[in-house]
Amino acid sequence: MSSRGDPLRIEYGRELNGLAVVRQASPAGAASFSATYVGPAGWGFDPTGEAGTARVVNQLLASGAGPFDRVALARRLDRAGATLTTECAPESGEVTIWGPAEDWEALLSLLATVVLRPRFEAADLERVLRQLAERQMREISQPASRAERELYRAIYPEGHPYRSAGLGDRRSITRIDTGRLRRYHRTHYTSGDALLVVTGAARLAAVEGAARRVFSEFVEHQGPTLRLPPVRRPSARTVSVRLDGRSEVDIRIGGDSLARSDPKYPAAFLANEVLGGRAQLSRLFQRIRERGGLVYHASSSLEAMRFGGHWTVGAGTAPKNAAKVVALLTRELERMERQEVAGRELREVRESSIGEIPLALESTADAHELAVEVAYHRLPGDYLLRWPTLLRSVRPAEVREAAGSAMNPGRAVTSLAGPSPRR
Amino acid sequence: MARSGVRRPNIRAFRLANGLRVLLAADDESPTASVWVWYRVGSKNEHPGITGASHWVEHMLFEGSPRYPKGTIDRAVLRVGGELNAFTDTDFTAYFTTVPRDHLSVPLDFEADRMTRAAITDEEVARERTVIHSEREGNENWPEFRVEEELFQLAFRVHPYRWDALGRRRDIEQMTAEQLRQYYRRFYGPKNAVLVVAGGFDLKATETEVRRRFSPLPAWGENVSVREEEPAPSGERRASLRGPGTTPYIQIGWRSPSLSDPATPAVLVLDTILGGESRIFSAGMGWRGRREHPTARLYRALVEKGIAVRATSGWSPRVYPSLFTVQAQAASGVSLDRLERSIESVVGRLTRTGPTRREMSDVHARIRRGAALAYEGATGTGFRIGYFATLDSVTLEDDLYHRLLRVTPRAVQQAARDLFRPEARVVVRYEPTGEAHDE
Repeated sequence: MSSRGDPLRIEYGRELNGLAVVRQASPAGAASFSATYVGPAGWGFDPTGEAGTARVVNQLLASGAGPFDRVALARRLDRAGATLTTECAPESGEVTIWGPAEDWEALLSLLATVVLRPRFEAADLERVLRQLAERQMREISQPASRAERELYRAIYPEGHPYRSAGLGDRRSITRIDTGRLRRYHRTHYTSGDALLVVTGAARLAAVEGAARRVFSEFVEHQGPTLRLPPVRRPSARTVSVRLDGRSEVDIRIGGDSLARSDPKYPAAFLANEVLGGRAQLSRLFQRIRERGGLVYHASSSLEAMRFGGHWTVGAGTAPKNAAKVVALLTRELERMERQEVAGRELREVRESSIGEIPLALESTADAHELAVEVAYHRLPGDYLLRWPTLLRSVRPAEVREAAGSAMNPGRAVTSLAGPSPRR
Repeated sequence: MARSGVRRPNIRAFRLANGLRVLLAADDESPTASVWVWYRVGSKNEHPGITGASHWVEHMLFEGSPRYPKGTIDRAVLRVGGELNAFTDTDFTAYFTTVPRDHLSVPLDFEADRMTRAAITDEEVARERTVIHSEREGNENWPEFRVEEELFQLAFRVHPYRWDALGRRRDIEQMTAEQLRQYYRRFYGPKNAVLVVAGGFDLKATETEVRRRFSPLPAWGENVSVREEEPAPSGERRASLRGPGTTPYIQIGWRSPSLSDPATPAVLVLDTILGGESRIFSAGMGWRGRREHPTARLYRALVEKGIAVRATSGWSPRVYPSLFTVQAQAASGVSLDRLERSIESVVGRLTRTGPTRREMSDVHARIRRGAALAYEGATGTGFRIGYFATLDSVTLEDDLYHRLLRVTPRAVQQAARDLFRPEARVVVRYEPTGEAHDE
């Protein structure tokens, strides 16, 4: 544990005009600092007919702010020894700064400038739109992203934030202009329901004081609300997209699942770890790669977000083996629902998940990711400390039940993208 | 203010009688310990017929040894919450395991067990063949992989840098288990390895444990120099590929110096000016990849001007002369001809006028900040120490750092002149067969 506090304990500070301040001690010996702003700025908030707006705004935050044009901002970061990254997700938009711990106040000030005062210069917008257009093409031309895209389109109805990757389409991004970006930014980045998560040596009071100074332009008002069309439970079906000229078929099987705040989450987490989340210990890796020799990668993921989530199993294989791999993936999914996980297997996977906590404390950046997750989901400050107990209290029957409801193969969609096996 | 200098932890270095080099970097505060074993074997040691052997052997080292039957290495590490993996490059193969600090004995035990006694059975080789095929086919789905593979095949006619570390399809299909066993017996062993332990551990106790576990191993493992010398290029070489994709894509390569060449620091600076990030000292990213950097020349000339959606340079210094590359993905509607002309114009200008003072100052700032925060976390520390020690020596990092800061604009211009010679140029162009659009 660090003399500055335990990085596994997250401290919630006072809210400043709708901006919740959260502090985490950096891991022992770490010389760096990280801060992330998280706002209700995901692509679920894209204005109707303007899909892609959230991604464009998010990306442009790193392209100049306040007195700094894009080049000046890059030089400022270089000289501070810092990096700035942006990330857009269905529900939220994030901006993270990382740099030397001793300069944390200056870095926090720079983060606030980037978040609150973007320049949105026309040339930068044009560049980002060109890049987005190419990403749209890449999404449908690459087997892996195409299989994922078709899966989510089959699971979620039109207008649902989890249905897409937020890239928009050729038509929607032509409607994006700087006026629209500024309006979106005002609503989604400068007010309401936002978080500032800081990992470093400074104490909470000092972080709050600094945040009050640098985020003084933040205005208190109700943050925007995400619209979520109801997800109709689909029956099992297969979507197949033929993409010739590739070597491998990408396969995804999945369905909608639970939110992070669901009490069943720890059981569903363990079900996913047993199935394909715990790397080489997982059933998919062992049965399909190690025993079958059919694939290089086979894994599963459970993405539990604030308002819902999805689980996915995925693999890539030669076209001639695609049907066999789909059958094996499906069989393993069904087994999760049909049979209770043996006590020994569950214990091994669970203790592995608990045992890896120290690995998340190797660096400030690693620890910070945990803090952002805890804070975003409004979990208690001691959640990471209680996580081992939560996992150890899950019984095999609960894992099976969670697999049945959170990863139900009976209503799973199978999506394949790649060359046809007949070729 | 960013601190300066490489902040590497203290290292206890020694060599066992069987030739194993050991580097211990203890950090009392670290909650984890990371064990890295680097072998000086990679695709440079292969020849047609056994291309991909280094990578395949890397896979086989997870498939069993006397005290760790198949699957038990993974299980031993994961059950204590650790992580493990390995990677193969042209000049080395590296294995790493990071565990909570109390479990350091786990990786030390199996690394000693598999250093000379891996069981490469016929049965497991047959099963792994399809896994490796799948890994290669997954890569082939990306135009960038196909272009780079073609580029190195064109650039090198005799040197083993000609093929990718994954190996050729035909060799993956035909290589035998016995060939892999011979390869392993020849190149693996303490004499050709570097063991790095970084993170939270007791220095004395760990040194004792390392000596106990690794000293009994036989002094095996050859570090074989590559004898094939690639003739100097005498003319431009080019190829065109077609296939599925988004927009036209190009890679251009030029023969580059080796790691030990006196020009290496200037070429590293040149790479930073063209591509944006310092390859060796880059804050918060290690070797993971490059972000867009708005001061980079390729970015300014191609991405900002709407010619490309991505453009960067790439150069990793290697033991033997390799390739300095520039790669760019065209913006929609931009032809390969225009893309190529634009790249040539950027490198031509740098060759004619050299870098500006401002650019040199930017590069120095990036190198200083990258070096100051390069060592955080046991895994990253183990990687950096092992990388430099395997290719040369741990002090190569300090040496490069100081030499990079002394590189003059004139040296960069001279490096550009030496590098960007038309007769040393290799070009591979990728034309997508129809743009991808949503139906």
